[in-house]
Amino acid sequence: MWVPVAGLPPRLKLSALAGAGRFCIWESGASTRKHFPAKNHRGFSDSYPQLLPYPDFNESPSSVSKCRLEPKRYVTSRRLAETVAQILRGKLERPRHLLLECNPGPGILTQALLRTGAKVVALESDRTFIPHLESLRKNLPGSLEVIHCDFFKIDPRGGGLVRPPTMVSHTLFQNLGIEARPWSAGIPLKVIGIFPIKNERRTLWKFLYNLYACTSIYRYGRIELNMFIGEKEYQKLMANKNSNLYDVLSVLWQIACEIKVLHVESLKPIEQKLYFIQMRPRRGLFTENLTPVNYDVFFHMLKHCFGKRSARLIDHLHSLTPVDAKDILMQIQKSEKVKVTHMHPQDFKRLFETIECSKDYAHKWLYDDSMGDTEHPEK
Amino acid sequence: MSALRWGRGAAGLGRVLQSCGRRGLPTEEGTLGVGLGPRRSSSASPHEKDLRKDWGHVELLEVLEARVRQLQAESVSEVTVNKVDVARLPERGGGGGNFQPPRKAQMGAKGAAPQHFGRWAAKLDKEKQTMQKRKQRLEVKLQVRAQRLAQKLAEKLKPKPLQMEPRLGSFKELVYVFIMVKDAGFTPDLLSYAAALQCMGRLDQDARTIQRCLKQMARDRLQLQDLFTVVPLSEEERAALLRAIVKARPTFRPRLRPPPQVNTSTLLREVYAKDGPVSYPKLHLPLKTLQGFFQQQLHMELTASVCVESVEKAVLTKETMHARKTLTNLRVQWEAALHRALQETKASLARQAHEGRPTLYPFLCLLSEHEFVRLLTQTLQALPAQGKSFISVAQELGRRTFSRHMVQKQQLNNQVQALERRYTQYLRLLASDTQVAEPHLPRQYWEALGLPEAPQEKPWPVPVLLQLGRQLAELLVQAVQMPRSPAAPPGSCGLIPVLYHVYSFRSFRQIGILKPHPAFVQLLATAAEPMLTFETVDVPMLCPPRPWTSPHSGAFLLSPTKLMRAVEGTTQHQQLLERCPPAELHGALDTLTQLGNCAWRVNGHVLDLVLELFRDKGCSRLGVPPPPSEAPQPPEGRLPRDTPPARKAELRREMARCLKVAREMHSLRMDALYRLSLAQHLRHRIFWLPHNMDFRGRTYPCPPHFNHLGSDLARALLEFAEGRPLGPHGLDWLKIHLVNLTGLKKHASLRARLAFANEVMEDILDSADQPMAGRKWWMEADEPWQALACCVEIARAVRTPDPATYVSHLPVHQDGSCNGLQHYAALGRDSVGAASVNLMPSDLPQDVYSGVAAQVEAFRRQDAEQGLRVAQALEGFVSRKVVKQTVMTVVYGVTRYGGRLQIERRLRELSDFPQDFLWEASHYLVRQVFNSLQEMFSSTRAIQHWLTESARLISHTGSAVEWVTPLGIPVIQPYHQEAKFTIRGGIQSITCSKAKDSSQKPNIKKQKNGFPPNFIHSLDSSHMMLTALHCYRKGLTFVSVHDCFWTHAADIAIMNQVCREQFVRLHSQPILQDLSAFLVKRFCSSPSFQPRSVAQRAQMAKLMETLQSLPETGNFDLEQVKRSTYFFS
Repeated sequence: MWVPVAGLPPRLKLSALAGAGRFCIWESGASTRKHFPAKNHRGFSDSYPQLLPYPDFNESPSSVSKCRLEPKRYVTSRRLAETVAQILRGKLERPRHLLLECNPGPGILTQALLRTGAKVVALESDRTFIPHLESLRKNLPGSLEVIHCDFFKIDPRGGGLVRPPTMVSHTLFQNLGIEARPWSAGIPLKVIGIFPIKNERRTLWKFLYNLYACTSIYRYGRIELNMFIGEKEYQKLMANKNSNLYDVLSVLWQIACEIKVLHVESLKPIEQKLYFIQMRPRRGLFTENLTPVNYDVFFHMLKHCFGKRSARLIDHLHSLTPVDAKDILMQIQKSEKVKVTHMHPQDFKRLFETIECSKDYAHKWLYDDSMGDTEHPEK
Repeated sequence: MSALRWGRGAAGLGRVLQSCGRRGLPTEEGTLGVGLGPRRSSSASPHEKDLRKDWGHVELLEVLEARVRQLQAESVSEVTVNKVDVARLPERGGGGGNFQPPRKAQMGAKGAAPQHFGRWAAKLDKEKQTMQKRKQRLEVKLQVRAQRLAQKLAEKLKPKPLQMEPRLGSFKELVYVFIMVKDAGFTPDLLSYAAALQCMGRLDQDARTIQRCLKQMARDRLQLQDLFTVVPLSEEERAALLRAIVKARPTFRPRLRPPPQVNTSTLLREVYAKDGPVSYPKLHLPLKTLQGFFQQQLHMELTASVCVESVEKAVLTKETMHARKTLTNLRVQWEAALHRALQETKASLARQAHEGRPTLYPFLCLLSEHEFVRLLTQTLQALPAQGKSFISVAQELGRRTFSRHMVQKQQLNNQVQALERRYTQYLRLLASDTQVAEPHLPRQYWEALGLPEAPQEKPWPVPVLLQLGRQLAELLVQAVQMPRSPAAPPGSCGLIPVLYHVYSFRSFRQIGILKPHPAFVQLLATAAEPMLTFETVDVPMLCPPRPWTSPHSGAFLLSPTKLMRAVEGTTQHQQLLERCPPAELHGALDTLTQLGNCAWRVNGHVLDLVLELFRDKGCSRLGVPPPPSEAPQPPEGRLPRDTPPARKAELRREMARCLKVAREMHSLRMDALYRLSLAQHLRHRIFWLPHNMDFRGRTYPCPPHFNHLGSDLARALLEFAEGRPLGPHGLDWLKIHLVNLTGLKKHASLRARLAFANEVMEDILDSADQPMAGRKWWMEADEPWQALACCVEIARAVRTPDPATYVSHLPVHQDGSCNGLQHYAALGRDSVGAASVNLMPSDLPQDVYSGVAAQVEAFRRQDAEQGLRVAQALEGFVSRKVVKQTVMTVVYGVTRYGGRLQIERRLRELSDFPQDFLWEASHYLVRQVFNSLQEMFSSTRAIQHWLTESARLISHTGSAVEWVTPLGIPVIQPYHQEAKFTIRGGIQSITCSKAKDSSQKPNIKKQKNGFPPNFIHSLDSSHMMLTALHCYRKGLTFVSVHDCFWTHAADIAIMNQVCREQFVRLHSQPILQDLSAFLVKRFCSSPSFQPRSVAQRAQMAKLMETLQSLPETGNFDLEQVKRSTYFFS
């Protein structure tokens, strides 16, 4: 299959170009990582850009090299790109959303999106691709913007120096002229991308914290994510009660978002599937009793419950709240024998809200700030 | 009673057999812990291996099984008896409420006690851990189960546990053990024979048996005399042992005391010289007073905790009184509940023990129930509002139990009386109104007064501590309850727990936390109870500390203290110290003793002023933390219904910020509260700060809250209890000291500083007279409180008719200027470096930071001219302040990464610096700082590099880096690879890190990066010790904060001279050559390091080569240091 690679610097060899695939791995030179097969998976490309020899070996800054070596996946198949573009275009010709494309890489999907008439902002974390994307922009003035930015590292925790490709969402959105929309209003923009191969779980957690806290990108409203996600994490995300995979992550995401599968693509050589899913935050996520002020208590409650998932809910409640546990279970119409894994995600929300609005108790939770991380977990 | 121990032991064996039969290895063995360090037992002894080969496995198994059955049968009946006894105990203990543990009476009658049981069990547990270790190693080799079993049995019965046998006089069992030991292929050691002979002595065995035993002992090549010198024995044990031996060999006389050993280090020759002028200082207190002090301290240690009145004054409202009453009532209930729960737990554990399962039962019998309950209520009281991690509560409880047990044991063994006698005699050396025949160092005198102290029981291994602590904490969670609403009358509503075991989630870790119910926290806050409780070891001593005579005895009178402080469970330091010849340690022991012998008192004037501020609104700038009322208040009020989520998110951030500030303020406030309350408590007393050292020899006072190592405020609260007249130059030194404290004249000569002090004399007097209302000159100083104390002292002195006669108590400091670099420069005989850190005489103090800044600036200018953008952007920003922290820490091993962060922080503070350049600029600057240092201290970098490289190669061979300081202290770096062990069961599993465990492979990175700074620290500590010892010989009061030396104003000149002389003496030694020789001997020529493969051999050759290629040195003349005014100033 032929792929346009105009403007790509010679040091990146697109090993996938020769093979027939919808995704491929970017690779340059010999890869030392054996656990990542250097074969091209159909339609995607995973890349390990290699470091150019740094002028002074003693001085090579380790932090840079670390992020540079993360493998990345790119859409390289035109057919797949067309499919995705069509899905995002939708059936109805509604006012089009702005699309933020994360790590477009060679820009194949970008081109497909542009062809459907969308306005696209390409956030590319790898500097090598920028000139190529810039050349695309010049061909289609007005509908594409290219920014050197790593969407998945946006708003780093703990402050410190923010250097490109890491960015602060505030700056990014301000530069793009995007304004915050109230939560109850419509979707301000859509994000398209592929979850980082090695950090899917961590990224999911990061978005969750930001979503419930209404910070980072979610300060601008109910931003919709359209992401490729690996099969394993997908199953965890969508797990129902009683399933072995049912976990805090499933509960929190299912409460927060409507999740739809838009497309499934299988990676033939490694027998894996990639799911293209839509995660649209629910309008009714926040209520009187579950707010960005107390979401951390809710998170803590869930983590506690799933810390010993086979235990009865009532046992967990004893360590969570001084409020009378039996009483609460009665109110949410659950038996005292109910186990954690028997609770539907919405049941947890109801449980939380019931405790939160219980009267006659000065102290509703044993939790306090010092006990949880207010940010997404680092590792 | 003795048979109970047997019962348990035997039953335990039985269980091993059973479980082996069922499913191979008993997994429970693992639960008792893996954490014990490097006690490599004699598994590899050829003797044992031979045995294993020779014996038929089945046969062995049968023999052992039979023996176990036999033992079990014997023990059962006795176990029952014992249980009844134990069950009876609580009533007596609970009802009487007397301090003596109730079982004492019982002990007298029976001669044995659960305590011994405990020791046996502790040993057993320890053995188990060793076993676990060995099991892992041997598993590959040992495939036949019976063989493994034999191994285990042998382990359990290794000679060690024998030492506590004899008191019981249970000869029969003893013989069994001996047989089993032999069966398993071990050779009994001295301890075992000592035990056996004692037993025979007590039972009055006939001479033939004893003869046989002695013969056997001779066959094992053990010396009879060693029994009395090597094995630690109490008086009574000695007597029993001697009785037995004399029976067989009527002519035998033990050599009573090992001949006094003399330290042979060349550096210390003068310190221990018998001739020459000696005027060891005496305390200014008469014998009677000191004896009184001793009694007070003894009482304090026997009660294990001290109540101190809080300096926080609560307003007594009706609510407060009510809350206090409620609390008092609740406590009565809690104590009863805890008693009950403890009894129940003990009963159920005793049942388990009876069934042969390993339990904590013996540990719970070590202290009286009353004592345990007191410990638990204290823990509850001290729990912070936000809770405390379960593991630290458990460890704390375990540790305290151990320490109380140790104190009690000494009490029961009549050691307290012996100590009292010896200490009273010892005081004659120190008291002002008594004379001793010839001058002695405190340690020498103490040693002359009696036999060396027996080593105390080894600290329990961490897993045991944690399990015991977990059991106790569990009791606390289960037993302590309060009414749903504390205000309601008792019994009117249901009970809820006070403590909750909850989890906190950090990343993907889960941390158990003990959290008090918010209502309980509220109640405590309302009650604002006026008393704080401290552990005795956290409070300064009320009498001179016991001199350090060995790695295990010194400092507090009864409470066990480590000579080398280390994280719990780190055993390698203690082992190294115990193994080293006692005389080698004399330098360290004497220094620590002497630092601890310095008497202190509280500076009441400063304390009054601080307390005034503290009880008012505090003052962050002066280091007096403000009360919680000053914390930022989070926005109040309920939000309207339709507040958008984004607004709520903002609100949340605001609240989080306030909470964080409030929490930080609270912890600072509590810290200050402890310190000030202790100061107030000790206000009109004289007290002592016992010292110990870290693994590099740096010394620290043991009591944590109130000592001279703390902040400016903490230091200002202390002064020497003993005063000295200022003499002719004392006043000048006071003035110079004041100017040093203000930090105003760092670059001026001493004369200029003195002139400056005279210039601002009016301000000084004003500060002294009206510190809070006047011109407040002192508040602008770098160290305001110490400056104020100094102002007051100066004012008093100048107002004395003759200032030279004014008796001053104020410590005056002399600071090493960049002490780490001083040592490097001296090691490398580096002239340029030496000049910049004041090793060379000079009219003005040299400032190394300005020097480096100038060098960096020179580099920058070059680069800027060549058009480097960063260099151009940095124009005008390269200052002393920007580089200071990095230069200071470079010696202590800061890396470029850390250095960059430091510089970034400094640059960020500069408001006019273009912040876009931060990363590039800091990156550029840190490189230039390193280059400049390389330029200025060429030999320093070479030495650092050599040290790093050596450490890297050594750790590659699989050993931790070790060396010996010039004073003879053995040092080993406790950095090992991270490994975790988990102790399951109970309320939660506990996972601990084993990164200090010397059986793990060394952590190469830490070993490598740690070696240069640690080595330099071991040198600076040697310098301090030498100075301290010589000052003591000259009769000076001397204390130190690492590289800051303190003495009376009158004695500064002498101390300065000694300090310089000793620095020269120290560096006149071939330090690096000695180090190299030691490392070669230790790591290249020891038989255990025989390289096997080609790669290993190459590695070894490389190591050898590196170690022997010492960095070249310059031609700096060390003698010049003696004339350098600003070396220490």
